[in-house]
Amino acid sequence: MPGRQLIMSFPVTATSHSLDEYRARGGYGALEKALRTMTPAEVTKEVTASGLQGRGGAAFEVGRKWQVVVYDDGQPHYLIANADEGEPGTFKDRWILENNPHVLLESMLISSYALGVRNCFVYIRGEFDLPYRRLAGAVEEAYAAGYFGERILGTDFCCDIVVYRGAGAYVAGEASGLIASLEGKKGYPRNRPPRLTVKGLYQRPTVVNNVESLSNVAWIIAHGAAAFKEIGTPKSPGTRLFSVSGHVNRPGVYEVELGYPWMKFLEEDCGGVRDGRAIKCVVPGGVSSKVLTGAEIRDLPLSHEALWDAGSTLGSGGMIVIAEGTCMVTLSQILMRFYHHESCGQCTPCRHGMGWLHRIMDRIVAGQGRPEDIERLYYISKFNDGTTICGLGDAAGYAISGILDKFRGEFEYYIEHKRSRFQGNLECPRSS
Amino acid sequence: MPEILLNGRPVQARGDQTVLQVALENGVFVPYFCWHPQLSVVGNCRMCLVEVEGRGLDIACNMPVSAGMKVLTDSDDVKAHRKAILQFITLNHPVDCGICDKAGECTLQDYHYAYNGEKSLSVDDKVRSTKFYNLSNRILLDNERCILCLRCTRFTHEVSKSMALGVERRGDVSNIRPVEDRPLGEDPYSDNIIDLCPVGALLSRQFLHKSRVWYLTPTPSVCPGCERGCTIRIWHRKPEWFVKSLDPRQNTAIARITPLENPAVNGPWICNKGRDLARIFERVRAEAPMLKGRPVPLAEALDAARRLIGAARHPVALVSSWGSNEELEAFKRYLGEVFRGHVKRDWLPEEGERIEDDLLIRPDKNPNTARARELFDEGEPAYHDGTDLVLVWGEGYDFARIPPQARVIFLNAYLQPENGHAEVFLPISIQTERAGHYTNFQGTVSAFEPCFPKAAAVTDAETLFRALAAPARGHP
Repeated sequence: MPGRQLIMSFPVTATSHSLDEYRARGGYGALEKALRTMTPAEVTKEVTASGLQGRGGAAFEVGRKWQVVVYDDGQPHYLIANADEGEPGTFKDRWILENNPHVLLESMLISSYALGVRNCFVYIRGEFDLPYRRLAGAVEEAYAAGYFGERILGTDFCCDIVVYRGAGAYVAGEASGLIASLEGKKGYPRNRPPRLTVKGLYQRPTVVNNVESLSNVAWIIAHGAAAFKEIGTPKSPGTRLFSVSGHVNRPGVYEVELGYPWMKFLEEDCGGVRDGRAIKCVVPGGVSSKVLTGAEIRDLPLSHEALWDAGSTLGSGGMIVIAEGTCMVTLSQILMRFYHHESCGQCTPCRHGMGWLHRIMDRIVAGQGRPEDIERLYYISKFNDGTTICGLGDAAGYAISGILDKFRGEFEYYIEHKRSRFQGNLECPRSS
Repeated sequence: MPEILLNGRPVQARGDQTVLQVALENGVFVPYFCWHPQLSVVGNCRMCLVEVEGRGLDIACNMPVSAGMKVLTDSDDVKAHRKAILQFITLNHPVDCGICDKAGECTLQDYHYAYNGEKSLSVDDKVRSTKFYNLSNRILLDNERCILCLRCTRFTHEVSKSMALGVERRGDVSNIRPVEDRPLGEDPYSDNIIDLCPVGALLSRQFLHKSRVWYLTPTPSVCPGCERGCTIRIWHRKPEWFVKSLDPRQNTAIARITPLENPAVNGPWICNKGRDLARIFERVRAEAPMLKGRPVPLAEALDAARRLIGAARHPVALVSSWGSNEELEAFKRYLGEVFRGHVKRDWLPEEGERIEDDLLIRPDKNPNTARARELFDEGEPAYHDGTDLVLVWGEGYDFARIPPQARVIFLNAYLQPENGHAEVFLPISIQTERAGHYTNFQGTVSAFEPCFPKAAAVTDAETLFRALAAPARGHP
């Protein structure tokens, strides 16, 4: 067990997601505590004091985002849980939605109370079937038990929730693209300013938080910010859910206390790399984070600051372990196909750059690469960095330039010999 | 008034302005495709990237000014990024300027020469898309040339409100497409998107492959289509490019009509009727003076008219609301004492034409009713048994309303059956052949200038009124 657990702290059974079992675990106690003993400002203060960082990718402090919303500015406010989990390699929010949906709902109620929100939303990705059914079931249970609707728990607090299913676009996971999609428009991200906490959904102050970020709020209110800060490292308090995939023996979702040694986690909890191979590299947090080689991660702890220092990020917690013998060129081709397919086409550098990256990778893999292609890949990623409306263009650039920085030789080999040094291999046999 | 440093020069800005607006106001050009002063900001072309010291690059069109910010519009980083943005924009653009109507007035072409100037870095095939997509019976769409600046979709959503266009699919296969059940053909302002398009993606069917734009020159004019009096540019062939061997009528034909931006009247827009003025102006002209349908020299027709005027005891006149201020005033001056003038509406709304809306189109389909009403009486003349002479100036009057005993002097520019029914017929010039002014319904006066020489044997109405008045002043 990699450290203490806040969200995955119970054994999963066929009924562990139900309201009854959630309450048996102490569920909705934090909501009672917040509504009966705390003012909205105190809740915000507690969340801010906890230092909770966003779990969707940018690790922006939740409290700082909330503080921009002025509680009594006379406007409607909105809270949106971003459950459009689309980053390749990431499937941690899915675990919460499937197995602990009430922790999200309770946390959203507390957050809505703190932010002066009358209507909150869950934007769930359209491909999620079981998570959607579990969440919709939980919403029904919560309404029946009086946790949503008018005068919740006999207080003056009223709150309704809408679960909205997305239509399958990666960019709709970007907060402003999500809002556009929720408003019924094409999922085009918006330019900032204005920030979403100033003008978001329906041009009103809106807080968009990742499912996992929000799910920590109930624990923080129940146990206090001080207790939360004791978990993890000083700069990265709390735990993170990692969805581990790739060439490990036990892939899956793990809750890891931040600061936990990375290799220990992979070796002990994830059962080590398949086939006893060495780690070639790891995608730490979704494919939009830069890859780190086996050597680079050897002594790293799993914390935001350690990863930032190493030139990457924990991102969305989608960890992909890549064993020796994997062809990084073929892998890059697949990644670029993804970004090309998912570019919304709104702004110029990404609309054309993603297709350009994809076509160059296709050509290299087809054995028609040219020596200048590597410079061209760098060129495209350089001029997508910071020039686009949302982060998709940047992310694709980080992904390809991160791989190129570390495995340039493999690309050069492929271009020169017109074949992969590793036979285009992406698979790794399971350890017997 | 926050002060910002624009390339090191302190300039004053208003708090609600963006850096792009401040730059343009202060004579610093920042290139842009998608931004338009009359449309919302989408910031998707990324061409207007500027550098703010300490904050890096961002787009100027969406950057609010803040006091003391140091903006660089021409740093090396900005130049490198502009160049790269043009590489991206032209990546899948066909660069078929040689056969593109927009060439010569294309923003992409201009920017390429100004900010890039290099050939594409890509060796891969371009993304293919639809060409000559039929958007309406007026507009074709070339998706390969489209740079997805979304000016056209924003225009239909924010200005004309027809909501007729949207974007289909995503990424580099995104296409502008018409929205189901909202036909662009029913949008009376649709052709403005052709002007808005910074590249040659939206093509006018009327103008398709008609002329290279550099063979043409615009003459400022006023649309006579309704009492709004939008200012327009009438494009016609430059004299140095007159054709000799082909049909020479091309030399005196209207090639196309575009808006002449005018904040006081029409902003940067005009309606489709204004684009179709050739349909009005290029009808067959009446070119011979006539007496009861018999062609005669002008002097003979004028003599006959003078005799009629001199003998008349109860003459009335129907004054054209298509006459310019100068012509109306000339009529008042020379013939106002003889005739009691009544304002005539030369044009009534045609079948299917939009009567009125809250953007530009006005219910009165004549350009100068406002000035005519100031000078002359409203309404139909009170004909009686003594009415012995009716002067009709301009088309659109039903001669059956004129009492049978009355003689008719008719001034008209076009070949119409009534011309032969008049006692005296005098052909007159049209707007594109003379200079003048119209007063619109708000009282704003706009000028028009001649585009073409007068057709043979026609005379300006102003000249005719002076000539007709001669006998009234002592030569019976």
